Amino acid sequence: MAVASAWHAGVLIVIVALLFPLFWVAVTSLRPANELYSTSPIPWPMSTENYRDALFRFPLRMMLLNTVIMAVGATVLQLAVAIGAAYAVVRFRPRWTGALLLLAGAAVFIPPQALIIPQFLAATHLGWRNSYLGLIVPQLAACGLPILLLREYLAAIPASLIEASIVDGARPAQTLRLVVLPLLRPALAAVSILVFINTWNEYLWPTLIAPQANRTTIQAGLQLLGNQEGPTSGALLAAAMITTLPVLAIYAFASRRITNAFLQSGIK
Amino acid sequence: MAGAGAAPGTAQSARDGRKGRGGRDGRVVTGIGTRSGPWAYSAPAILSLLAWVYVPMVATGVASLLDWNLTTPARFVGLANYRRLLADHDFYRALWQTGSYVIMMLPLATAVPLALAIALWLRPGRASRVYRALLFLPVVLAPAANAVSWQFILNPLQGVTNAVLVGVGLPGPGWLNDPSWAPLVIVAITTGKIVGLNTLLFSASLSAIDLSTIEVARIDGATSWEIVRYVVVPQLVRPVALLGLLCVLLAGQWIFTNVALVTQGGPDGSTDNAFYRIYTYAFTFFDTGTAAAAAVVITGGVAIGYAAVRLVTGRIRRAGAPAAG
Repeated sequence: MAVASAWHAGVLIVIVALLFPLFWVAVTSLRPANELYSTSPIPWPMSTENYRDALFRFPLRMMLLNTVIMAVGATVLQLAVAIGAAYAVVRFRPRWTGALLLLAGAAVFIPPQALIIPQFLAATHLGWRNSYLGLIVPQLAACGLPILLLREYLAAIPASLIEASIVDGARPAQTLRLVVLPLLRPALAAVSILVFINTWNEYLWPTLIAPQANRTTIQAGLQLLGNQEGPTSGALLAAAMITTLPVLAIYAFASRRITNAFLQSGIK
Repeated sequence: MAGAGAAPGTAQSARDGRKGRGGRDGRVVTGIGTRSGPWAYSAPAILSLLAWVYVPMVATGVASLLDWNLTTPARFVGLANYRRLLADHDFYRALWQTGSYVIMMLPLATAVPLALAIALWLRPGRASRVYRALLFLPVVLAPAANAVSWQFILNPLQGVTNAVLVGVGLPGPGWLNDPSWAPLVIVAITTGKIVGLNTLLFSASLSAIDLSTIEVARIDGATSWEIVRYVVVPQLVRPVALLGLLCVLLAGQWIFTNVALVTQGGPDGSTDNAFYRIYTYAFTFFDTGTAAAAAVVITGGVAIGYAAVRLVTGRIRRAGAPAAG
């Protein structure tokens, strides 16, 4: 019994330490403005004024929408590109397979800060500042990881299945659509989750390419709000909670799926 | 790349040639032929990587030889930017701090998650699953929101942390305003994510452990502690070494976002790191040349580090791709 409670206590201490800031901000965001720095762990008296402030004084809803569009767009784009490359090397086995994988692999390790000035200049010259194109298209720089992961999954599909479709006279596009993609569905889900979360949490690029408050993402937006003169801390905390709630909701329903996605991509 | 035995390329292309009515020379009228096939499918990926990674990288190399602030015309200055960089005290401090971040994070990124993973593994069940899910939660939380939370609870005058410390009679530090505390706070915030991710990865390694070895130890009369110490931990050396090395390589990147969000390198540059330096030269000082020179030097360092890791871990490499969230 003593061992069991020590076990629970040990693990819970770490969990509480990790999640305390989130818990405290959740509690505080529900306090009225003059009670913001209260040390009571119960938000009483309760008030929604911080949330009203955050939603109506800032373009928060616009920022959320922008973030969704950026994350979905970047995920679709990166996956489309990566499926093509992974399929090309597994189906055709070209001599330059190694070179392509090296190109993708090295891209994962190049620090993004080393590329950001030319990327910024290119996107600016294309007229993409404060636009969805500017938020989404340059995320293709991160397509190296999905290429490597999808190629691993694709290579694990029994070669005989692909060969059989070739013998049956399927064109490469048909093999991809009818044989490979259906088998790849779990892998696509895992890699999409990974890319989506990475893009959702992206901070540096949106601050540079979309500095305008109603054109930027929630991540960059929170920083803008923090720097503004008007807003109180309470509204900022409420904004942070509004940013976090969709992630929490998704995680509550799909935590197994999400941890599996990280697991497979980290271990494969 | 240990490909399972498949049809050799020649047989495959003969089949394709036959079906694509265009003849033997590989030109195919309908669909995508064998010659152009792999190119057509991988062209979007190759072009994306060239356009957004490799051309920018070359451009950064060229910019490192220019005197340029993005508005006035660029002027070729040879290696002057590198000379200026290597004479800059701030650059050395940033490099030094990048290293000390790694040293601080290494035990937190390996020993702590390892202990947690083993603890959860020893008592499987619903509690373990819930705990593991809670430990992982910080990994998916947005860094920007996380930064707001930490800044709020660490507010030196009104924050709850200092209220509690003062309440029990301890001095409340200035945290993010104090050069000796601020780097530790950055490490704590960053580690919050790494602990959850690495606990998950170690848990996966644990579930792959050979259970018969544990059975044998138990029959031989080993205590649970002895089993963990002499049977389980030795089997985890590889994943621990691999995640440790990845931590060394990537800690600078993980730290970057939190430095940018929470302290902007301050106070007095105490939380600066190499990657944040590039950003500062470029977007605070608008000194594109120096920023590019710093980027070239740091990318070179990362490349050397990566090559060294590849050499050391040639054998454990297969166990892990560089996914660090």
